[in-house]
Amino acid sequence: MGCASSKQFKRAPRHGDAALLAKETTFSLDEVKALYELFEKISYSIFKDGLIHKEEFQLALFRNSNRKNLFADRIFDLFDMKRNGVIEFDEFVRSLQFFHPDTPMADKIAFAFRLYDLRGTGSIEREELKEMVLAILNESDLLLSDDAVEQMVDQTFKEADLNGDGRIDPDEWKAFTSMNPALLKYMTLPYLK
Amino acid sequence: MVGGGGGGALRRVGKYEVGRTIGEGTFAKVKFAQNTETGESVAMKVLDRSSILKHKMVDQIKREISIMKLVRHPNVVRLHEVLASRKKIFIILEFITGGELFDKIIRHGRLSEADARKYFQQLIDGVDFCHSKGVYHRDLKPENLLLDSQGNLKISDFGLSAWPAQGAALLRTTCGTPNYVAPEVLSHKGYDGALADTWSCGVILYVLLAGYLPFDEVDLTTLYGKIETAEYSFPAVFPSGAKSLIRRILDPSPDTEDNEHTFDDEAGPLTLNAFDLIILSQGLNLSALFDRRQDYGKLQNRFLSRKPANVILSSMEVVAQSMGFKTHIRNYKMRVEGPNANKTSHLTIMLQIFEVAPSIFMVELERSAGDTSDYNKFVNNYCSKLDDITWKVSAEKGKSRTSRLSKR
Repeated sequence: MGCASSKQFKRAPRHGDAALLAKETTFSLDEVKALYELFEKISYSIFKDGLIHKEEFQLALFRNSNRKNLFADRIFDLFDMKRNGVIEFDEFVRSLQFFHPDTPMADKIAFAFRLYDLRGTGSIEREELKEMVLAILNESDLLLSDDAVEQMVDQTFKEADLNGDGRIDPDEWKAFTSMNPALLKYMTLPYLK
Repeated sequence: MVGGGGGGALRRVGKYEVGRTIGEGTFAKVKFAQNTETGESVAMKVLDRSSILKHKMVDQIKREISIMKLVRHPNVVRLHEVLASRKKIFIILEFITGGELFDKIIRHGRLSEADARKYFQQLIDGVDFCHSKGVYHRDLKPENLLLDSQGNLKISDFGLSAWPAQGAALLRTTCGTPNYVAPEVLSHKGYDGALADTWSCGVILYVLLAGYLPFDEVDLTTLYGKIETAEYSFPAVFPSGAKSLIRRILDPSPDTEDNEHTFDDEAGPLTLNAFDLIILSQGLNLSALFDRRQDYGKLQNRFLSRKPANVILSSMEVVAQSMGFKTHIRNYKMRVEGPNANKTSHLTIMLQIFEVAPSIFMVELERSAGDTSDYNKFVNNYCSKLDDITWKVSAEKGKSRTSRLSKR
């Protein structure tokens, strides 16, 4: 992929780069250009350097640059493919294509799996699921007793961890999401079409 | 029954002109009355305040009455309003002309299976409806079953179990005995209204088909004993389907077999698994990047409750209606629509109950139309009125509820 050329997107994507992105992703050339407008707005909102920083991402998502959120962090980390702490335009487009309505379901399932595999071990562990449940409860200001949280995590593992080894692996995740397709609804953004 | 209001001057209570007495019990008189504003005929139950004993369940009863004022069901006598003076309480009810089902049995003896079935079905229909709203009768008996001019059954006194208070009610029935009362009521357990009503429905079905009571003893101690052991027998001729139904209802230890839900097998709210909950995070909602309008996307609020789902639902319904909103319920979802339809987009909110862990429910509110400030105002007001069903774990985070509600 064209990582080497991405640093040239300082001001606007050169026609060739935009064309390459259009060729390599689900987006058309016009859509890539439209995405650049969005990228520009976000990436110049605070630091004015044409790169999306965490604070700018939080500002765009929550209208608040200081709002910490585990799931927003995860999305940011996955978008930041080079792991250099910022999202470049090339990364922005390539990541957003997972959210395109025409992207195959298998790709969306895989993206969601990486999102929830907090420590990148290749499987979703019980502790990771519990951490995420606590995060959403906290985000919603819902206080649930530890017992109730444990019960919920147990119940979900009972359904999803088919071989009972205490981890949800990619195949189990695929089976679980095919039983619960609503779990991937957020992975499709009608705006992208 | 007494003839007319007699020589006494016509009395007025509020907007009602009070006429002749149409029924009389130990504690209450029922009078015919007319709403002077609408001309509508009503029945007015008049009680002495002193007959209302101090009751442990006062709050529950108040809640049930507020619900009953809104309940409309073809087999339930409508409660229009409750008025009070210094000495008396006036309960204004729908006026029903066809008399008591009880009188029909006294006069004509037991009913045919077809008639009994019709009345029983109407009875269950009305009882189930009120139960689904969280209202219990606790004193069901043929005397409370009226017939309208079309011969349809109307259940009277739903949600009025405090008048007179429970203890007095036991001694009030025609025979002066609690023939219809369930064992757990007799044993003074904090009893389950649904269970008690189901038991009474069983006794009523028996009476309709047999023409007499299953439990009938002159001596109270013997009567209690027979009810507690469910000692009764069927007459020689008795429909077998009804027999097996009654046997299942008149089971003195319902805890051992879960047959209290014989006619209530409706599915519960959706259960959320951990991932269902996770995807509610705003952090995963990337559509916020694209929709840059200042009041973007969906506005959502949530709260938890440990009350039974049907209690949550009926409380939410009653509160929304009391605020002048229209409600539509399907399963455990409710749509609430604002009163001012003349605005281009009037406020519409979707509410749904989810089970997130055993006996713990989450209610989600989501705006589907209307402007943000209207929605936020509604949510603050609405949620504060639902305080008594909201589950609050001691706030270790020191955040106030209102700050949560006005978030975003």
